[in-house]
Amino acid sequence: MLKSWLRGMRMYFYMIGVSIRTQLQYRYAFVMNILGWAMTYAGTAITMWVLLYSFGAIGGWGFWEVLFLFALSVLSWGVCVVFFFHFRTLDQFIVQGTFDRFLVRPIHPFFHYMSMKFDVGAFGQFLFSIAAVALAYNKLNLHWYMGQWLVFFGAVVGGTLIQGGLIIAISALAFWTTRSEQVYWVVMWPAKSLMNYPLSIYPKVVQLLVTFVLPFAFVNYLPSLILLGKTSDSYPAYLGLFSILVGIIFFWLCFQFWMLGLNRYKSAGS
Amino acid sequence: MIGTLRMYGVFTRKSFQRAAAYRFDAWTRILGNVIMLFLWGVIWYALYRGKGSVENVTFHSMLSYILISQALQGIHGAGTPLWEIQERVRTGDIAMEMLRPYDYPLRMLFTDLGSILFYFLTAILPIYTIIFLVFKPIMPSTFSQGALFIVSVILGYLIRYSIELTFGLFTFWLVETGGVEDVFYFSISLFSGSVVPLWFFPNWLEHVALYLPFQGIYFVPNSIFVGQLSGHALWAGLFTQVLWLVLCYALLRFVWVKASKRIVVQGG
Repeated sequence: MLKSWLRGMRMYFYMIGVSIRTQLQYRYAFVMNILGWAMTYAGTAITMWVLLYSFGAIGGWGFWEVLFLFALSVLSWGVCVVFFFHFRTLDQFIVQGTFDRFLVRPIHPFFHYMSMKFDVGAFGQFLFSIAAVALAYNKLNLHWYMGQWLVFFGAVVGGTLIQGGLIIAISALAFWTTRSEQVYWVVMWPAKSLMNYPLSIYPKVVQLLVTFVLPFAFVNYLPSLILLGKTSDSYPAYLGLFSILVGIIFFWLCFQFWMLGLNRYKSAGS
Repeated sequence: MIGTLRMYGVFTRKSFQRAAAYRFDAWTRILGNVIMLFLWGVIWYALYRGKGSVENVTFHSMLSYILISQALQGIHGAGTPLWEIQERVRTGDIAMEMLRPYDYPLRMLFTDLGSILFYFLTAILPIYTIIFLVFKPIMPSTFSQGALFIVSVILGYLIRYSIELTFGLFTFWLVETGGVEDVFYFSISLFSGSVVPLWFFPNWLEHVALYLPFQGIYFVPNSIFVGQLSGHALWAGLFTQVLWLVLCYALLRFVWVKASKRIVVQGG
């Protein structure tokens, strides 16, 4: 068991090494990809700034607080992109029949697919989110004690697992419908942007949905309550401590869903 | 002339049929569109809580603005996306298009018309009829206002189409296009007034936006729809749209001619 795990790990690092070198081959594309993502997020931040310029605050949150909320989700999203973003294109492999190669090799198909890419473009997300978090930390005059730093890192790890789990679940849809990328861009992407703003502005149904069904609330909003010292009418603040736990459970469920789809998978074509 | 039109009409019909065959795309797209509408509706509701009107705009006007804006964005979104144009240039598929006896930019326009028509009739129209009945937004009250709104929408569509295709054709020179598309999407989302109308921009930024072509895409038609643009300002708005359309279309033709001359197809 341990031996096979070690062998798997070695293979993983070998394959992501190849993936990184592939991406570094095209210097210009590599740099533009990173800058492009950073610019996209900076664009959203500018839109937020414009929005709050005339209005001052949304749901009691000022611009810097909203920026922090947004940047926290982008930070864990960045980690998630590194490991799982390519799962959204699973449908292409299924449609073209190239998914079969993941099944015939002596390594777990999930792990094999995961190791196919190690997306260094995510440095764009890190570039933006770390700068934005640092800026907001300064502007809001925050001074976190040790516990709060733990909550912060917990949110990053938990957020990665929650968002990663979701991408995996969406990719699993391809086993049934042969569609996943489309679902990601047109449904997931808009749904994800809901959490760029404080959840307290949404109707109760949505708040319950993003807490208990798709636990987006644990990615940024709930930890931010603790980190920014804010209170909420609908949530007790201590819920933010559970990000990692929720992340592990949710990721496990999504993984099981993926395996369910995999067992159902029949190769394309005749 | 009639023959040419009929040929382009075939592209429209075929693309309508293709869209009908891939209905799943239309459903997912309308779902995403309604989620975005919900998101912006809630955001504006929260921003306006406890405020009567901001910059002389009431919440009701703002809600109407967002409703029509999302409906228009749905229509725009059903056309060929930027990345697909880039992909066609990158893979060299565009060479095949150039061999054929039609004008590629026009062909694209008519093809998009087909998929948009399908999407409009089966998704946007039914869903937004219901949404409009429920939320009772401010609507054009006179026939001429409605007609000018339609004219403005068409002008806005053509501006967006010209700019998007021009950006797509830049791929001829760049091969790698990350960065270019981000500039495009950012400008389209902020300066077009798609989600935040220019009224709420800080003064200096409003001036920047007013000197850019993007405001003609959503801001002008939306403002006409909710009645924030009327009288002289309305005609001035339409005039800038026409001006930008001429400029953007000229740029598109220029880039297209240049691109045709320096086609680099990779591979065999």
